[in-house]
Amino acid sequence: MTFSDDRPTMIEFKDVHKYYGDYHALRGINGTIKAGEFFSLLGPSGCGKTTLLRTIAGFEDISSGVIMIDGKDMANVAANVRPTNMVFQSYAIFPHMSVEENVGFGLRKDPRSKEEKAKAVAEALEMVGLKGYGKRAAHALSGGQRQRVALARALILKPKVLLLDEPLSALDKKMREHMQVELIKLQRQVGITFILVTHDQEEALVMSDRIAVMFEGEIAQLADPETLYRRPATRKVADFIGTMNFIPAEILTEAGDKVEVNAKGLGHVALDIAQAPEKTGESPVVGLRPETLTLLYDDQKAPERETDGVIDEVIYFGDMTYYDVYLGGTDVEVRLSMRNVPGRPVLDVGTKVRVAWSPSALVLFR
Amino acid sequence: MAATPGSEARAGLKLISPTAIYVILLLAVPLATVLIYSVMTGGRGNVSLPLTIENYTELASKSVYGYILLKSLLVALTVTAITVLLAYPVAYFVSFHVKPERKSLWLFLITIPFWTSYIIRVSLWFVILGYGGIVDSALASIGLPPLNIASYSILSIIIVLAHAYAPFAVLPIFVSLEKVDRSLLEAGQDLGESRWVTFLRVTLPLSMPGVIAAALIVFIPTVGDYVTPELVGDGKEPMIANLIETQLLKLQNFPQGSAFAVVSMLMVGIVSVVFVLWNRRYIGGSK
Repeated sequence: MTFSDDRPTMIEFKDVHKYYGDYHALRGINGTIKAGEFFSLLGPSGCGKTTLLRTIAGFEDISSGVIMIDGKDMANVAANVRPTNMVFQSYAIFPHMSVEENVGFGLRKDPRSKEEKAKAVAEALEMVGLKGYGKRAAHALSGGQRQRVALARALILKPKVLLLDEPLSALDKKMREHMQVELIKLQRQVGITFILVTHDQEEALVMSDRIAVMFEGEIAQLADPETLYRRPATRKVADFIGTMNFIPAEILTEAGDKVEVNAKGLGHVALDIAQAPEKTGESPVVGLRPETLTLLYDDQKAPERETDGVIDEVIYFGDMTYYDVYLGGTDVEVRLSMRNVPGRPVLDVGTKVRVAWSPSALVLFR
Repeated sequence: MAATPGSEARAGLKLISPTAIYVILLLAVPLATVLIYSVMTGGRGNVSLPLTIENYTELASKSVYGYILLKSLLVALTVTAITVLLAYPVAYFVSFHVKPERKSLWLFLITIPFWTSYIIRVSLWFVILGYGGIVDSALASIGLPPLNIASYSILSIIIVLAHAYAPFAVLPIFVSLEKVDRSLLEAGQDLGESRWVTFLRVTLPLSMPGVIAAALIVFIPTVGDYVTPELVGDGKEPMIANLIETQLLKLQNFPQGSAFAVVSMLMVGIVSVVFVLWNRRYIGGSK
């Protein structure tokens, strides 16, 4: 997962700000996107992720700062000459053209002969799985097919960076999951830097080499999916990505690379400093993912630590069951998930249980 | 509750009967009358049998009629072309550069010329175009001789008609431009085209249905316009409508007038069909 460290830089943001009138849409964006990386901009709507993507494409000017693409400052470089191509959220397929005219739209100034261009169009269509669709009218395509046309139309120009603006949000769940895998394969095949804008954390985790989580015009954390999930930098990031239990805690001592806390319901825990991201001034809580908590069988011994609890709610999902459990006679409730493997019964509300957990799975926000 | 198809159909007919009667009396009957009259024998103030095609051969035999028909057609086509060409930028500006909340105000302002009677607007054009009018005084002030545009009847007719029908052309073009998905324009630029080429390759083709609708809306009434040649050209440059008026009202030769009317309708019909077929190319984008 340390994919990107040794790659050359493709895009660099230096203190990028964007104002719409009084509204501060981008508040000092810094960071780099590496060549050949599948990079995601993730955040809730209105966080500035689409604005940031559009500044890369050149559809929005930035108020201050620098955006470099492949070592060149993009100030005063118009959208139509940037080495980027975009797959629009609405796909923006030209309705008055056939599929092949759409795909070949950007080839007008290409010096190749008509036959060579036609061949390139056919190849691009084959690459996205639309072989033989060239003569179809674009307006007669389904959502998934439109998206493939939009992809082919952008990739045929061999951009340095492909920008994808929530490309999967208009598709149904099955199709979306299918296209996620296809996009990953396609990206590996063409080796182009992909930048995906999405509000779907699952999608970002599945597809990306690295993810920038954005809130209110700022990047809250830029990391690979595993780090983002296991070591979120702030409580907000932790809350946005997946589910996390937050347990009120008290910091007892902080010395060297150890922090000792007293977490309500869990007791005294010694944490590594790596488990405690930088202070943000919030009241201290420890975070625990549901799958890091386990219900113990009667005669089973916890590998590390255990705490008593009472089941308050049971949510059955088929392959999984979610339990809401009160910890150690306190009012602290955590959610944990158990796989419904053979031999493990689904427990009832009110059952007294023992919950196993591991100090290394904890994250401290303070 | 089982309504038989027959009773349903009867109920349906009852419902549409007021409209149907209206259409039959005011559209179908007059049209049929004109068609039948055009193949009857005419005299001053009377219409009689036998059926004849003499009215049409009369029309074909005199070159002056052909000249007037052709002139009407050319004037109407010129007015259409000028009106649409001038209306397009206006519609484009309102659609693309006016804030959404201001658009209806702009469209409202465009209709202001309609608030005054057409006759008054025509008279005002004399003040602008006539001998010693605004155009001529302006020219005189920079030392140029007067043009007296009003004395060129056909030119004045074209100017007055183009002005009169401009709002009709702006609206359908505006509507078709409003329907153009703005992300398509970004896509055009994203794929390497300048704004201008994107306009030519994306916006213009997508707005063609509106342009063609505008052309039809302007062309059809201008071919048959009666008032403008009468007022602006002092009747010196008669168009089809003036010809028909002479036959029907002055000479009271109803069959001859009807024959002119039928030919005029055919002309409009043919041009309209051409426009509609042209429009097919753009609607739905099927190829």
